[in-house]
Amino acid sequence: MSYFLQLVISGVVVGSIYALSALGFVLIYKSSRVLNIAHGQIIASGAFITYALTVFMGIHIVISFILSMVITFFLAMSVERVFLRRLIGEPIISVIMVTIGLMSIIDGLIYLTPFGSENFSFPEFLPTTPIAFLGASISWTQFVGVIITFVMIGAFTWFFKASTIGISMRAVSDDQFASMSIGISVPKVFGLAWATAGLSAAAAGGIIGNITGLNFNVLHSFGIIVFPVVIVGGLDSIFGAIVAGIIMGLIQQFAAGYLDGHWGLNGTADVLPYIILLIILLFKPHGLFGIHEIERV
Amino acid sequence: MSESRWLATGNFFTSYKAEQRIFLTHIDRLVFICFMILLFIWPLFFKVSNRYMLVIDSILIAIVAVYGLNLLTGFAGLISIGHAAFVGVGAYTLASFAHVLGTNHVLITHWWPLMILVSGLVGAVIGGIVGLPSLRLKHLYLVIATLSFQMIFQWAINFMQFFNQGQTIAIGRVFWFTGKVVRKQHYFFWYYVILVIVVILGFAARNLLRTKHGRSLVAVRDNDRAADAMGMHPGFTKVYAFALAGFFAGVAGALHAYLWRGVGFESFTLHHSISYLAMAIVGGLGTLVGSIVGPVAILVLELQVEHFAEWAGHFFKAIGDVATAFRPLSFGLVIVLFLMFEPRGIANWWRIVRSYFKLWPFRY
Repeated sequence: MSYFLQLVISGVVVGSIYALSALGFVLIYKSSRVLNIAHGQIIASGAFITYALTVFMGIHIVISFILSMVITFFLAMSVERVFLRRLIGEPIISVIMVTIGLMSIIDGLIYLTPFGSENFSFPEFLPTTPIAFLGASISWTQFVGVIITFVMIGAFTWFFKASTIGISMRAVSDDQFASMSIGISVPKVFGLAWATAGLSAAAAGGIIGNITGLNFNVLHSFGIIVFPVVIVGGLDSIFGAIVAGIIMGLIQQFAAGYLDGHWGLNGTADVLPYIILLIILLFKPHGLFGIHEIERV
Repeated sequence: MSESRWLATGNFFTSYKAEQRIFLTHIDRLVFICFMILLFIWPLFFKVSNRYMLVIDSILIAIVAVYGLNLLTGFAGLISIGHAAFVGVGAYTLASFAHVLGTNHVLITHWWPLMILVSGLVGAVIGGIVGLPSLRLKHLYLVIATLSFQMIFQWAINFMQFFNQGQTIAIGRVFWFTGKVVRKQHYFFWYYVILVIVVILGFAARNLLRTKHGRSLVAVRDNDRAADAMGMHPGFTKVYAFALAGFFAGVAGALHAYLWRGVGFESFTLHHSISYLAMAIVGGLGTLVGSIVGPVAILVLELQVEHFAEWAGHFFKAIGDVATAFRPLSFGLVIVLFLMFEPRGIANWWRIVRSYFKLWPFRY
């Protein structure tokens, strides 16, 4: 039982980070209908910026966490300004391919830094004794990470639901021409969507870096797992992303805990989300909470 | 009015048949034949070291793979970032035969054309399966389907005992009428084999695009509802586009396995998928010339990048392999810059040159 509880706890921890990672992706998709393939790379750069600020420049980790969010905010905004602003009006297929190119570029840039090939881990700043809970345990880093994640998710949900900018983003996602006619600057909204996505990505990156250590391959896989999460949750649903993120985390932990080592299976946690993704695409293409578009095929 | 088949200053077609000709003028055909002859005889006159012959062979294999990707992305309008996995399916089909039957089984060494075909067919079947979600979806989601196939493929290769967990599976040397193809002739021999396959598949793709089945791909890309109204089934057409791409990729994979005499995990990663996409974009999406020019451009660029990385390695002492950094960087830059400034690719430059000479010496 305590093994099960342990798996549930780590599943929720990982899953809530997936949810936070997926949040930025959904934000961009919702406002501009662009699938941002480079989202994982933005998460990774957020994590590396946090680390560089903390360790190389000696800033306190809380401040550098916030600073890296600010930096990534402007970074993502400038990415949108430089690369994607010109492509407004082009077919969406070329916009997606541009993000694939961006993914490759950021990969290359990260490989140029020491982060591309070496492993780093954040200095411990929280108590190292784990919190025991009904026979299972959760480390302080994970605990704080989950709390930050839920606070961020709550803040984003509020931002999207109630703030003026959030409402204008939703308006743009609904109908660009109509929102232009009531005075919303569509390019500005796109830029802001990218910027907030960058901000949430940096937060996710910082938390992942603290929990798992900094390894580019790990961060990379966190970036790609965003896709199963958003597909299962429904591409344009923030709530769906949160639920699906936690479901994905649980599935991965259960797979690693119960499937691996039996019947010659190994590393099932890495593959199960993608198999689920393909099945969901076949049978429920709009995910659990996605808006059911009427046009098909 | 007798039309001149040598020079054409404009389009004066009087029948659809005339419009659908492969070579519009005799000059086109002459240039093509001369080019073909050149491609077939140059290795007899110039001795190229094995290292560069390998590069040339890899370019030809990439052309086969990019034919498929271009049919899928360029003509049918479906992005695939799992093309290297489809190539890997072909390669690992061959590797599975080698694994089960033995490295030097007669089926692999003597019946290699059959094996290449079988790999292509397996690739087609897998491609069709991955494309199945397109029965219900718009194309945007399919990017994610192909990406997830790439991840599933990488997992299968890395974790399954049957595939040697990603370690190299050896493929035996093949036999030709004159006997075993030995080490000295290996790259030379495969140059001709792959060249013949490139030409055959090139004509196959060109002819396909003249038929109903090829043009239905373009119709579905341009407007799926109109295509639906014309009596095509957009979903099936997309699945079939995936199967076609899978076939080309499978053939390329089998050739890759034979050329390198082994199959390893490292040739079919996500980075390779992106570089195939870069080839298709740089060459020009939706043109067959593009799928020939693109691989040449990208692989020559890759050679240059490696030279540059060797030189730049002195400045980046901190990292082990500078080439691993510069390769994705340059591919990404090339993709983004071409999409922003020349979305129709290098093939468009070729079109401009051709249309200039069409009217020469007049300006218009």
